Amino acid sequence: MTTPPSTKTFTPARPIWCAGCGDFAVQGVLEKSLRNMGILPHKLMLLAGIGCSGTIQNNLKCYGYHALHGRVLPATIGAKLANPDLTVIAAGGDGDGFAIGAGHLVHTFKSNPSIMYIVMNNSNYGLTKGQVSPTSPIGYHDNAELGLDSMLLGLSFLSSTFLARGFSGNPEQLGRLMEAAIEHTESGKGFAFLEVLSPCVTYYDTHREWRAKVYNLDEDESFDPTSRAAAFQKVIELKEQGHIPIGRIFKGEHPSLESIIVNKEETLPAQQNIGHFNEHRKHYDQFIKAHLG
Amino acid sequence: MTSTNSQPVLEDISVIVAGQGGDGSLTVITMLADLFRNVGLNVYTERDVASRIRGGHAAATMRAFIGEKHCIGSHIDLLVALDEEAVEKKVHQISSNSIVVFDDSSGPLRSGLLLEGTKLYAAPFNRIAMRTMRRELYKNSIAFGIVGRLLGLEDEAMRQTFTKRFERRGQIILDYNIEALELGLHLADEMGIKRGEGKYRIEQTEPEEQILVMGNESIAFGFMAAGGRFFTGYPITPSTEVLETLQKWLPRCGGVVRQTEDELAGINMAIGAALTGVRTMTATSGPGISLMQEGVGHAGSGEVPLVIVDCQRSGPSTGMPTKPEQSDLNIMVFGGHGDFPRIVLTPGHPDDCFYLAVDATNLADKYQCPVFIAMDQALSQNIASVKPFNLDKVKVVPGKRLTAEEVAALDTYKRYSFSEDGISAFAAPGTPGGMSLVTGNEHDEFGLVSTDPKNRVKMMDKRFHKIEEAKKELPKGRHFGEPDAPIGFIGIGMMYGVILDARIELEKRGYNTQYLQPRTLWPMLDETLEFIDRCERVYVIDLNAQGQIAHLLMHQGADSSKIISIRRYDGLPYRPGYLVNQIVEQEEKLNNDDKKEAKAQ
Repeated sequence: MTTPPSTKTFTPARPIWCAGCGDFAVQGVLEKSLRNMGILPHKLMLLAGIGCSGTIQNNLKCYGYHALHGRVLPATIGAKLANPDLTVIAAGGDGDGFAIGAGHLVHTFKSNPSIMYIVMNNSNYGLTKGQVSPTSPIGYHDNAELGLDSMLLGLSFLSSTFLARGFSGNPEQLGRLMEAAIEHTESGKGFAFLEVLSPCVTYYDTHREWRAKVYNLDEDESFDPTSRAAAFQKVIELKEQGHIPIGRIFKGEHPSLESIIVNKEETLPAQQNIGHFNEHRKHYDQFIKAHLG
Repeated sequence: MTSTNSQPVLEDISVIVAGQGGDGSLTVITMLADLFRNVGLNVYTERDVASRIRGGHAAATMRAFIGEKHCIGSHIDLLVALDEEAVEKKVHQISSNSIVVFDDSSGPLRSGLLLEGTKLYAAPFNRIAMRTMRRELYKNSIAFGIVGRLLGLEDEAMRQTFTKRFERRGQIILDYNIEALELGLHLADEMGIKRGEGKYRIEQTEPEEQILVMGNESIAFGFMAAGGRFFTGYPITPSTEVLETLQKWLPRCGGVVRQTEDELAGINMAIGAALTGVRTMTATSGPGISLMQEGVGHAGSGEVPLVIVDCQRSGPSTGMPTKPEQSDLNIMVFGGHGDFPRIVLTPGHPDDCFYLAVDATNLADKYQCPVFIAMDQALSQNIASVKPFNLDKVKVVPGKRLTAEEVAALDTYKRYSFSEDGISAFAAPGTPGGMSLVTGNEHDEFGLVSTDPKNRVKMMDKRFHKIEEAKKELPKGRHFGEPDAPIGFIGIGMMYGVILDARIELEKRGYNTQYLQPRTLWPMLDETLEFIDRCERVYVIDLNAQGQIAHLLMHQGADSSKIISIRRYDGLPYRPGYLVNQIVEQEEKLNNDDKKEAKAQ
């Protein structure tokens, strides 16, 4: 089909975020990156979690899906494995990804599917009015626990292949990171994990604080993002100095999940003509033979 | 083969091998099943194990028979006891006509344990294995020689089955086992059980082509035949064979099988896959079903096609993982928060499992809702001989799917468009022009979040209307007996075979019965209620403590005065004789009550 059909479908919603929310920048950068990378709307699935950030799929023209709280990663992986031809992107917040869904994040680093995951980190639960989140620092409300750092978590998996952190206050850099992430997944290299510092203007306005604290590794020529050990050391050092490292944190190589478990000799699962089991009759015959004894 | 008239022809025999877990009881039974199938008998086997790898009392049972039977019988003809505990545990099932083969390595069988007249063949299998082969492991293969001879099996056929069973495990293992079998056959000679002089005579017939499968394997293959190409699962007894079977076979057809980190990932990954239009299944047992509830409701609300297999085991919580129960019926029918439609199918035999898995896969796609297949441990894991599945009976019925051309021909495409049958055609991701939103939030026709009261009611009604439409074609039950028989039975899953067997015995005792195996439990079909209407009374057999089927029937309007709720939740598999006794006792009580009432009047 050369010209897109004129069929009317849903009109993307207007964002429901508060004026000044970091998520606006994320959406703007995402739309621009997708355009720049030539991703067609009908080839894109955008799956989102629950939370303020988990409404982003309503705002883009694409195949959108609103997952259960914390379950956006398994749903996204399912879609990607069923149809690896699609560009499949997961989006959500730090509560969705690092609290209720943390178990899935661990296993996504481990299995390395070619999906991009954007975590809009605002370090609080904005949609339920500002409760402590897994990334909240000590002293926020009555929080006494150190916040979780997803880059360190990702680095600890020898199977992780793309780790980056952007800042909604630096959209140009965020655009570069996002395009690199899309390039990573489109070329089947594995899991592109992109955390975006995205301040919540209503419950926890960190904009100025984060602008002062970010340390841009992309501008540090001595930093080598292809060395996992160096990345680990640098992130820990910066954190100890009170900085928040942003930029390209790590890029490595590891076989992607779909390259391992999708049978390349056969049509992709979602694209099969299932009306004719006869195509696979020989497997049925083998099964019967195996059970005939 | 020499034979004497004193050897009865083997028509229906039950053999049980019992010992400690790891003794190889199941191996013996599996090979016996293969041997009997090869000489033209039908077989049905059952395992009874503790939830551990080694140790704990474990038993496996095989029934070989001519004709149709779908359960283990009440009586054991041959008990192979690998220790004394095995005799203690099974003695109530044997009679003076039974044969007992006993491993007396640890000393002779305690006197008085067996009924007088029971024929006992004792030999120190364990000691022989250790002395001759330095491996306790081979005691079951030694015992096999005795068992095979007693049952009238040919030595050469036994060797062939051993070869078939062990050759894939390497020449060394095969050689050891054949050596053990030969020791056993030699021992049989010494004990006077010569070739062709066993207790039974097998009238060999040309065997029909029969496969040996368990329900879980049938489910896996039915799903595959119906175009299922995506499966997720997390290992849990007794559902794991669905995962394992599909891991082996589905990728060959280009399908994907993913063992997930937990059941939450299992159902949500299945949902994500189903969004792309691929036919998807997940399988689990009670604890997994509990974890999956949020996902089930999500699939109901988002109208995502999904087949969920629940291989029920004894609950609640971790319960008794290897024991059969049917106590997840409530959660399948009513589970999850909020109101949403779902379908629950109830197969009764490994053969039925295949065809209902086909139906489930078609129905999920057509009605875009969760479809459960309610199994139980026995149905899932018991192995039966069945005719190879008939692929000509498999129809892949496509769901309402829009191609790019069909989308282009529309003015407006709405993922959740209101339609006469409640089903909205959908375009799978990748289809130009079909961009849409899927959500578990209440939504408008486009999938945009909506709390508009009118839309809310219309959307809820649309989703439930699909189920009303589905009722017209949901799998009908199977009915046995005369429609005017006064006594009715309703039972599902493993109860299918037990009730069929019990009916035969009850008929001999003068009770005229009919039986309905509902194959769609939910939504309840009219035929189920009509069945109750035309019986004088109906025994509803529930493998749970609360009488979940009985309550469901009454909830749907069945006359409660006709329902006699029989409940069992001790973890033991039902035997036909047990059921017969329960029914006879109840019938006699009713009879006495009637007499008393008549007297009082």
